[in-house]
Amino acid sequence: MATTKSDLVLTMHGIVKTFGGIRALNGANLEVKAGNIHGLVGQNGAGKSTLIKILAGIHRPDTGRVSIRGWHCEHLTPRQVEHLGVHFIHQDRLLVSTFTVGEAMFLGAEPGIGPLPFLNRREMAKQATAILRDNFDVRLPGNALINELTPAERQIVQISRALLRDPAILVFDEPTAALVRQEVDRLFEIIRRLQAKGLTTVYISHYLSEIESLCDQVTVLRNGVDVGHISPKSSSATEIVSLMLNRDIDEMFPKKTTSIGEPVLRLTNLSARGAFSEISLTLHRGEILGLTGLVGSGAKELIQTLFGLVRPQSGVIDIDSERTKVSSPPSAVSKKLALVPEDRRAHGVALEMSVRENVTLASLGRFVRFGFLQLDREKATVNDLIGKLSIRTASQASAVRDLSGGNQQKVVLAKWLSRQSAIYLLDEPTVGVDVGAKVEIYRLIRELAEQGAGVLLLSSDLLELLGITDRILVMYRGRLAGHFDPANSTSADLLSCATGTSNGGPHGSACAESLARQATN
Amino acid sequence: MASDLTVPDDAAATKLSAVISSRIGAWFNVGFFIRAGSLLGFVLVIAYFAVAAPGFLSVGNITNVLEQSAILGVLSFGMTIVMIAGGSNVITGGIDLSIANNLGLSAAVYAVLLKTGQPEGVALSLTILTGLGVGLLNAIAVVAIGILPLIATLTVMNICAGFELVITQNTVLQASSPLLAVLAGDGPFGIATLAYVLLFVALILIVVIEYTPFGLRLYAVGGFREAALAAGLSVQRYIAISYILSGLCGSLGAVLSVALLSGSSTGSGDMLLSVVVTALLGVVFSRRVVPTISGSLLSVLFIGFLINGFQLTNISSYWVNGVEGLLILFAVATTSLVKRGDS
Repeated sequence: MATTKSDLVLTMHGIVKTFGGIRALNGANLEVKAGNIHGLVGQNGAGKSTLIKILAGIHRPDTGRVSIRGWHCEHLTPRQVEHLGVHFIHQDRLLVSTFTVGEAMFLGAEPGIGPLPFLNRREMAKQATAILRDNFDVRLPGNALINELTPAERQIVQISRALLRDPAILVFDEPTAALVRQEVDRLFEIIRRLQAKGLTTVYISHYLSEIESLCDQVTVLRNGVDVGHISPKSSSATEIVSLMLNRDIDEMFPKKTTSIGEPVLRLTNLSARGAFSEISLTLHRGEILGLTGLVGSGAKELIQTLFGLVRPQSGVIDIDSERTKVSSPPSAVSKKLALVPEDRRAHGVALEMSVRENVTLASLGRFVRFGFLQLDREKATVNDLIGKLSIRTASQASAVRDLSGGNQQKVVLAKWLSRQSAIYLLDEPTVGVDVGAKVEIYRLIRELAEQGAGVLLLSSDLLELLGITDRILVMYRGRLAGHFDPANSTSADLLSCATGTSNGGPHGSACAESLARQATN
Repeated sequence: MASDLTVPDDAAATKLSAVISSRIGAWFNVGFFIRAGSLLGFVLVIAYFAVAAPGFLSVGNITNVLEQSAILGVLSFGMTIVMIAGGSNVITGGIDLSIANNLGLSAAVYAVLLKTGQPEGVALSLTILTGLGVGLLNAIAVVAIGILPLIATLTVMNICAGFELVITQNTVLQASSPLLAVLAGDGPFGIATLAYVLLFVALILIVVIEYTPFGLRLYAVGGFREAALAAGLSVQRYIAISYILSGLCGSLGAVLSVALLSGSSTGSGDMLLSVVVTALLGVVFSRRVVPTISGSLLSVLFIGFLINGFQLTNISSYWVNGVEGLLILFAVATTSLVKRGDS
């Protein structure tokens, strides 16, 4: 790379930062060229957020040099950083929901009415509308309320807020976490448009595909050091992943060694009003059965029905060849069904409670004798599970709130593992989890199957489905639309079946045919 | 497998769930309907009493209601400011339970000072300082020490009540002064001075809270603390100021109360529920479903007219408490339903 010094608008050299004896950063470097979109990737704990907080002036590095637009700074403060033109778009959109677009944009620097110290709401609304129109081609009345906007529109307001301060460098921290597909595309378009106007962007994301399609340069962090400087144009996501993990992508998924046993769950013509109809499928012991579909395909509702959250209208559920009614989550639990819900913050863990309490919450009965908890046995079991799942926590007694997203998800898994269920319903178990934690979750899911449980895995991540499952079912508009063998299908096959653009490619054709086979199974 | 790892494929995979997003139609502005409905309710109540009670809409009666509402109104404004800056969460949000007893204490201080022959200026200044001091105490407890407002102001409420008892020995203290005479009398057009005071204070606060950057920032601090922090506001300072302003309103209410009752009286704490009711109910009179000074003024007048209407139509005033309770329920239910729609 032939970069002259003057091209670099932001450099961080040899940054070291220790927190209470633990090295978060160990001589990390970041060099961002003017006008580039620069990606920053790394697993959780790789030091991304520490690096960004140092850049923002929130943390002070132990050693190392930061220079922004030619200014070498020893001790950055948030104000200085702002003065130097570096602005941050945070993952959480920091806008007051009862404010108008204009108020939200100008909060902290409100225009007055002439020399009078009154709010000039009309001016704020007018300028807000103009900024949105000129920069983003977005037509929003400046007096619309924030809570009437879509997440993407809020994101745009947030960016406009930063643009008002005349930034030279914008730092996006996981900006797409709450956006849907089209909104992500729109955000990218905006970032590219800002690039055309000469703005430099630092882009941090879990989604490697985003990094690949958006960024000109990528810095990969691992264990507090930058381990790779990649140009995505000339290399692939695979390379980035192996740099992040320091291992090959093929090692991401565990080997499929399971032997498939007796049917443990059989659905016959199961229907629920307005969600899905006439679903028939069989899940065997030792099998990981993948399930996917777009929002509205009924796949999610199917999982919820099996756990007793949605009431089926007609059809039959057999568990271990016995006719069963699952009327509520407690009855599901008593039938050895376990659910790992997608929204773990809302349904999966009690954030304020400790890791130990969360893990044993669903299986307390096992640790009770004469009406009292046997704490030593509980502790031993939890210790065992923490080790097995490599949950990174200071102790069993730490609150789950303090854990990272991936580790929270592992706690949810551990909760059901400690119960030893026969059927696991996993709803998007790896959403919002970094690659390293994903690998551990995959290994764990495979272990569940090897121990003889049946796993029904609902996921939108098609690579994940292809990598880990034994069979994949695709739902479309409330019906089973396809049945795929992961060994000789591609994600394009799954996608076209799920979007209804084909009723099967070369492998999945046979959506209907394969379903017939399945029904006789 | 490796061939599946090409870019567009992966991109499609990760975001598949979002390809068809079912965005449940953009929220039609709920606040608009709530406000319109509440205003309509207000008008209907007025219309009913106008028909049922002759003289209800006479200038004399309206003035009377305004005069009677002045004290409650000023306290309600203080409570509203605290709720704006503290956020609308009923448990952890901003609330000043000490405000009614602050009035009691400040009124006692004022009456005692006048009784002992202090000049008007000294008595008034010390009274206002008392209210500000109570506000400062709340601010320290909430902001510096970090106690939940509900608990912090509850203890300060007790402190106020205790001091009031010490000062007054639980008796009514008569007081009079030229200022009190003016306040208790009639102003221009034969309308009670207190009615003017209520509207004047409301006007000032509406301008300050709803039309200045300071007010906007108060709302930001209460609406989304992190957003306010990200905008570089010193959140703690705004919250502290809100309690101090509330304390000021307490002592201002005390002066009005001494004027209206010709002295300090016991049992000021009984007003607390009404203050909470009006501040909470004020929320339904704003498009954004947030506390506002103008909304609180409307709800104070609403309750004032309601009580007045009850008296004129010979409905027992014992009903008032029950109606107030229902109104709290209505206001809190409305706001929590709107919040649920938001998330």
